[in-house]
Amino acid sequence: MTYDVVVIGAGLAGLASALRLADEGLHVLVVAKGVGGTHLAPATIDVLGYADGRVESPARALPEFVAAHPEHPYGRVSVELIRASLEWIRERLDGLGYRGGLEENVLLPTAVGVAKPTALVPQTMAAGDLRAGGRFVFVGLGGLKDFYPAYLAENLARAELPNGASVSARALELGLPLGREGDVSGTGFARRFEQSAFRDQVVRGLEQRLVPGEIVGFPAVLGFRHAQEVWQELETRLRHPVFEVPTLPPSVGGIRVFERLTAALRRKGARVVVGTTVSGSEHNRKTLEGVVTQTAGRPRTYRARSFVLASGGFASGGLQMDSYGRVRETAFELALAGLPAPGGQRFEPGYFDEQPLDGAGLAVDDALRPLDPAGAPAFENLHAAGATLAGATPWREASGNGISLATGYAAASAILERMS
Amino acid sequence: MTELVRDSLDHCVKCTICETFCPFSQATPLFPGPKYVGPQAERYRAGAASPDVSVDYCSGCGICTRVCPQGVKIAEINSRARARLWEEQGIPLRNQLIARPSVLGRLGTPVAPLANWTLRNRPLRWVGERVLGVHRHAPLPRFAGRTFQRWAKRHVSPAAERTVVYFHACGTNYYEPAVGRMTVEVLEHNGFHVVVPPQDCCGLPLQSNGNFPAARAYVRRLAARLAPYARDGCAIVTNSTSCGLMLKREAQEILDLEDEDVRVVSEAMFDLCEFLLLLHEHGELRTEFLPLPLTVPYHAPCQQQSHGIDKPALDLFSLIPQLEAIELDADCCGVAGTYGLKKEKYEISMAVGERLFDQVREAEADVAACDSETCRWQIEYGSGVHAVHPVELLHRAYGLGEP
Amino acid sequence: MPALETEVLVVGGGSTGVGVVRDAAMRGLSTVLVERGDLAVGTTGRFHGLLHSGGRYAVKDPLAAVECVAENAILRRTAADCIEDTGGLFVTTKWDDPAFGDEFERGCRDTGVPVEEIPVKEALALEPRLDRSISRAFAVPDASLDPWKLVSGCARSAREHGARILPYHRVLELERRSGRVLGARVESALTGDEVRIRANVVVNAAGAWAGQIAELAGCKVTILPGKGIMIAMNHRLVNTVVNRCKPPADGDIIVPIRTVSVIGTTDTRVAHPDELEVSQQEIDEMLDEGEKLVPGFREARALRVWAGARPLFSAEDVSDTREVSRSHALLDHAERDGVEGLITITGGKTTTFRLMAEAAVDAVCAHLGVDRPCRTHEEPLPGSEEGRFYWLGSRVQAQEPVPRSEEIICECELITRDRLKAAMVTRPTTNLDDIRRMLRLGMGPCQGGFCIYRATGMLHKYERLDSRAANASLLDFLQERWKGVHPILHGDQLRQASLDDWIFQGLLAVQHLPE
Repeated sequence: MTYDVVVIGAGLAGLASALRLADEGLHVLVVAKGVGGTHLAPATIDVLGYADGRVESPARALPEFVAAHPEHPYGRVSVELIRASLEWIRERLDGLGYRGGLEENVLLPTAVGVAKPTALVPQTMAAGDLRAGGRFVFVGLGGLKDFYPAYLAENLARAELPNGASVSARALELGLPLGREGDVSGTGFARRFEQSAFRDQVVRGLEQRLVPGEIVGFPAVLGFRHAQEVWQELETRLRHPVFEVPTLPPSVGGIRVFERLTAALRRKGARVVVGTTVSGSEHNRKTLEGVVTQTAGRPRTYRARSFVLASGGFASGGLQMDSYGRVRETAFELALAGLPAPGGQRFEPGYFDEQPLDGAGLAVDDALRPLDPAGAPAFENLHAAGATLAGATPWREASGNGISLATGYAAASAILERMS
Repeated sequence: MTELVRDSLDHCVKCTICETFCPFSQATPLFPGPKYVGPQAERYRAGAASPDVSVDYCSGCGICTRVCPQGVKIAEINSRARARLWEEQGIPLRNQLIARPSVLGRLGTPVAPLANWTLRNRPLRWVGERVLGVHRHAPLPRFAGRTFQRWAKRHVSPAAERTVVYFHACGTNYYEPAVGRMTVEVLEHNGFHVVVPPQDCCGLPLQSNGNFPAARAYVRRLAARLAPYARDGCAIVTNSTSCGLMLKREAQEILDLEDEDVRVVSEAMFDLCEFLLLLHEHGELRTEFLPLPLTVPYHAPCQQQSHGIDKPALDLFSLIPQLEAIELDADCCGVAGTYGLKKEKYEISMAVGERLFDQVREAEADVAACDSETCRWQIEYGSGVHAVHPVELLHRAYGLGEP
Repeated sequence: MPALETEVLVVGGGSTGVGVVRDAAMRGLSTVLVERGDLAVGTTGRFHGLLHSGGRYAVKDPLAAVECVAENAILRRTAADCIEDTGGLFVTTKWDDPAFGDEFERGCRDTGVPVEEIPVKEALALEPRLDRSISRAFAVPDASLDPWKLVSGCARSAREHGARILPYHRVLELERRSGRVLGARVESALTGDEVRIRANVVVNAAGAWAGQIAELAGCKVTILPGKGIMIAMNHRLVNTVVNRCKPPADGDIIVPIRTVSVIGTTDTRVAHPDELEVSQQEIDEMLDEGEKLVPGFREARALRVWAGARPLFSAEDVSDTREVSRSHALLDHAERDGVEGLITITGGKTTTFRLMAEAAVDAVCAHLGVDRPCRTHEEPLPGSEEGRFYWLGSRVQAQEPVPRSEEIICECELITRDRLKAAMVTRPTTNLDDIRRMLRLGMGPCQGGFCIYRATGMLHKYERLDSRAANASLLDFLQERWKGVHPILHGDQLRQASLDDWIFQGLLAVQHLPE
């Protein structure tokens, strides 16, 4: 089968890239060896949260950050493009009501009560904004082992906030009937929240226990397809602002993003094939012609005019290190940048120290094309996006989804430009 | 092979993605989920006695393996654990029976009208549930009376430059011989001489019910019949997508079969839509299709998706003028082969399939399409909409006559 | 300063120490045990997990072999719940001299180690992961031994017989007068309070640290700490203890213990038992040795690496610590150094802990002028009364038939909320690392990636800790875990660690927890 573009990877970078291309009428195929990124990360778009301390405004901080980290993926895209990508995703995920932007980070509580900066926030999480302070109450759900509101509240009350704002926080526990199950996952609760009888129980269990003026924080389990309605109903019936706090994977908020992006892709005629691994390529010198994928039987090749590699970093297997310390990119065996010297120390003894492997990944040109050891694009029609790129430590910078989105968007833009 | 499946548990990083997608653990608290029962519990199984019975509630749909980003062969681990469990507990009569569709087929075919009446008789089905454990409402197919093999023996396939071998599987033979006839005609229409060798069951239901030794025997016998053609360079094509998967991969991976015939057959095996689409990619598929002004909701069965070849049926549909195929996005119909027939699993199966049934109904179509026969029977039962194999629509669009 | 009076004071809470305090208490003596950390935090908690059949010593150290044979049988009778009867194999790989097998078999027969040569085909059917080119195989009654169950069983038994057990109490001083040890002054690591303990006899069972304790009484006891590293592999590559049939060397044993298989070990003389660094080279060598027994070992997932210090006692100084006998030594300091009231029991191995304890308590009784018989060879430990060996599947089976009817906090190791809560509430410390060692919390593949946040939340919830202390516990755990993980981080475990980084630093942002 021949497509216009084949995208490898179904995380935010891959799906964003694919959808942007499909929006412009291109025939797109997404192949992925599994589902990942979106289901493990919170649904917020973190552009830049930490760079020498907490970042208040990514728009203001980015130029200096990029100057200090020229190898960083943000060095390959302009601030305007990052802004455009945020606008675009906000629009494409219209039903999730994303708000925010590059001008000022929102501060949201994490599940341990840290005030963490993020740029774009879905509506169901927006009331958790800590910047103006406030009185918060966090609700624990019996049977959900991934949320500890009292611990969260106590840490949050000590959070350092800008402009002398302060936060008071307390916790409540709600016991809800769960049938035979005593251990219900976040997704199990999300499904229950989509049932009105369950919501009745939640409201009844809470309404007498709230103090006027309190902002109510739930773990992020307020439904899937109907999350907006669930959230709206809770706010209306409780008569308090309500928000969700993302907790351990699976990320319910991320699942909502995945479902919407893949549905949008299907509507545009794109194909998403999950469960197939790229095992090789067909190329003619500097032109990539096809990707070879493993199937249950013989390998299957998909041909396209352009390709986007968004296979993720070490966590998703896009990059791998063997027991001899050899690191490789697993889809195309592309050259890698940011690797520690061979035979050198692989890891620092302090868990929170900067680690030699942190920035490892693909070095790319301004069109997001991976570079060979000589510094030229490995293929003139292969682009890369997301956590596979070198130069970033997204979990420390709080930049994960921002990098994925911006570089996925940029890769698509580069392809569109070349094709026009 | 044994160790390749078990060792894949090393790839598990507990990310829970498999649990998110598993439709069966969502439908019943008796199944704690693929991560739990697969890579997690496997570390507690030291080869001998099986500590957990909850693994039996895994349906083997394979969605978990497919969505796992790390390459853990979860469904396969579960399958083998289930086999060890049943080996220890002894496989109940019901499972032994329903796992042998060709035996049931041979028994029921000569007395088809009576057999069909029996299977539709409510009191008798009620008794069947009590005695055997097959749920009284479980969707069972009708015996056709005249097997496909019988038609194939009489049929003379025109000589042609190229030959293809047709593995029709039990469902076509005993219950849907018309689908077999259409498959042959579509292949012949595209210039193939079609050979239908004598053949029997591929052993998949025996494998899913944990009877590995019997499953191996069936697969070996079948592979022995098909291998000579494969060695001759012939492609082997099947319209039963789950049986095709069995021969492509599962027989070797799950049953741990190291058999030259099985290997050679697996390399020559094609799902029917996969084969036709490949023809098209080489410019060899006849594309003079009549318009079919139909809206057709299409469900790609779990096992078809496990082939990892995308959904060739959709690409084929796009060649038929005025045919509007709707790609449904519900995960599973719930029947999972013989799983949904079982008394204790029927409700779970129906709960799993509900979303798909709704989507099929909402499409307000006259006909739905699906590559697997057991899934088709479940979809018809659950949604009330007639379901056909994609080849039926191709046959119609080729103008090859009424089915 | 509060004071305790007792007949026997035991210093050291490893297997030897708890063995001594149990035996003494069972003989009706009043006893106190002090341990500077948590019980079994020293060598006992870091050993290979092997209940020796004696085969390993049959050729080179026959005395140790004979002891192992007897103790193996005794522990199987009295500590069954701590033991998984995996059986053991000695296999001759293509790197080993097949003739050694004969020497091995002779040595076993001479020392009483039950041994049987089995056909290679049978060994390979039993253990399909073994290198198919092995030429000989011998079956012996090795087994795997859970040190925490063992130690906590002994401690419980000791308490039932009236002993007082004080973990987190460090000995500051051994009080002496006129060449007699009168007792010890100890300090609680948790509260800083000091306690004075008066004892008729002090038993120094401090293992690799025994030299330091003896020095407090002015006695010189040279313990040569022999460092050994071990690597836990994510799943049981073998279900039988597998030994190389050759003279003992590094990396020649793989022990299946609970859900992992552990390869070990090395024997390097180090200066100090707390100095347990692990080098990349040692790890590479261990992985290479593993590859010889189980092809594909390097691709298998390694979870964690750690080191323990063997307490090797030698009357003379030796350079190769492997030459030192693994049998134990009982030192009466009255005879040896003119210091009354102090006995040191050292050397040995976990398999022979009971025998060591018996020898020590016999000496104590002689000291006290009483004649009380030892019964530890016949009385089962609490929990082992029914004589049933541990079964690997038990944690899974315990959750059946409705596996999620209670919250499972650590999913890798199937630890329920109630179990964890009970451990948190009844322990003197709230150190997550201690709980990890006791329950195996966070010791599975995800190495705490999912359960440590939950456990921290629980620690806080059940009012054991305020958020500051809970934060510290969480951060300490992460650092402690990193120590054991980063030296073998590659392949699948690196993938896991990356995901865990995303969770702890990305999602939770623990590095920004408030002070």
